[in-house]
Amino acid sequence: MIEMIKVRRTYGTDITALSDISFSVETGEMFFLIGRSGAGKTTLLKLTCNMETPSNGLIEVAGYDINKLKGNDLAHLRQRIGVAYQDFKLLDDRTVAENIAIAMEVSYKKPRAIKHQVRDLLDQLQLSDKHNTITGELSRGEQQRVALARAVANSPRLILVDEPTGNLDASTTEQVMKLLTRSNKAGATIVIATHDKSIYEQNKHRIMELRDGTIFSLTRGEQP
Amino acid sequence: MNFWFAVFRQAGRNLRQTWASQFMTFLTVSLSVLIFAFFYLIYTNMIGAGDRLSDDLRLIVYLEDEPGKEMQEQLRRKIVNFDDVEKIQFISKEEAYKRFAGQLGDESDVLTDMPKNFLPASIEVVPLKNLRSYNQIKLFSEYLASLPGTEKVQYGQEWIEKFYYFTRLITIVVLLSGTLLILTATFMVAYTIRLTIMGRQAELELLRLVGATNSYIRTPFLIEGILQGFMGSIIGLSALYGLFQWIRSHFAGPGILNLFQFNFFSPIVIVSIILGSICLCSLGSYTSIRKFLKL
Repeated sequence: MIEMIKVRRTYGTDITALSDISFSVETGEMFFLIGRSGAGKTTLLKLTCNMETPSNGLIEVAGYDINKLKGNDLAHLRQRIGVAYQDFKLLDDRTVAENIAIAMEVSYKKPRAIKHQVRDLLDQLQLSDKHNTITGELSRGEQQRVALARAVANSPRLILVDEPTGNLDASTTEQVMKLLTRSNKAGATIVIATHDKSIYEQNKHRIMELRDGTIFSLTRGEQP
Repeated sequence: MNFWFAVFRQAGRNLRQTWASQFMTFLTVSLSVLIFAFFYLIYTNMIGAGDRLSDDLRLIVYLEDEPGKEMQEQLRRKIVNFDDVEKIQFISKEEAYKRFAGQLGDESDVLTDMPKNFLPASIEVVPLKNLRSYNQIKLFSEYLASLPGTEKVQYGQEWIEKFYYFTRLITIVVLLSGTLLILTATFMVAYTIRLTIMGRQAELELLRLVGATNSYIRTPFLIEGILQGFMGSIIGLSALYGLFQWIRSHFAGPGILNLFQFNFFSPIVIVSIILGSICLCSLGSYTSIRKFLKL
């Protein structure tokens, strides 16, 4: 699903966010990116969804060189990638339901299907009572879950999640992980950038650790 | 949900969120259409009145003496040599007297003591319909005045001259108001769309990231421009029609408006003004999209 070969990302002349990154993520895999703040996790996710372009190297997503895609081709690929951003990117003046619906509206899903999917996701994330709440009025933890709901709403083939549990308590973290696991079992490839040990230590998935913009280790988690 | 449903809903959302600036633009477009259409209406009616007046246009060449048969032929040849005419009629002194008496009607007894040849003989020249511009008539009258035995040529010079200059003035006003319409409609719509784009950068960025196609993002803005042009022209023309009806009802009766047969636009002109307004507003919208909506 994701193939990166010798990817490098620099800002200006002297800041290197990522260098010599080569790895691949299989279709249907759940993949963890770990590392301290500033290690390059968010940059890697941004490169994967073409929010940023690499300074060097090749990035292929679903068989496409994502940096060569333009216009409608890029838009159609993005419809198949769900992203939960670290800064959420929610529209603060819109309701929770409207924020989640956006991801499905752009691919012309039927209004009834959109409504149904929004309600279902809000139920799973225990946000049913926030359906018509303006997003700007929610707590950080609630906003985080809305961002996650929007990322998975369109049943994408690839889900990129940046720090999904940063603002959540243990019980809500479990719900979030259940939702992501369900999407993974339904066939979606999932990449989670996190430094929350509790969500990656107790499973069998691959874990890639970044340090100072390079790959420090690529291991498999311990099965419980 | 199909493409059109989605973009119309998005356009509706845009209109709701920026209704104040949208309303100001809508008023400006309406006013521009009203100003332009008002002067254009006067212009078309002036042209119509000019055509009707020119139907009755004839040049009267007053002669010093009544011409004989041979002289009449010679004069006829000289007139036709200058240009083809619709009609040439010689009026003898006696015939002129009869006409004048006829025009006086019941008051014709004032002529009883007058000799029947006190009026001069004349030639009535009706020019061809396609040769009735002000300059052509002026040239023709100068030529007729130079014919032998001619005393004076009359064709309502002052009236035609004033009418001609007034029509020219209205033409200039129509051109200026047309330019005003083009500038205001295009710039106002472009400015409003620009404001909408600037105010919604976060949403537009998000739409791009979740995979909205370029047409999904751009079309709602284009629809806004089309709606501004359509609604603005409909309201502008409706206001003009209301004004037209008011003038008709308050100034009915024997007067200048009856002479001019004041008419409203034909359906073709109305549709053309609406389409023109839509095109201009769409152009304004399109230029803003191209300039400020980088995808």
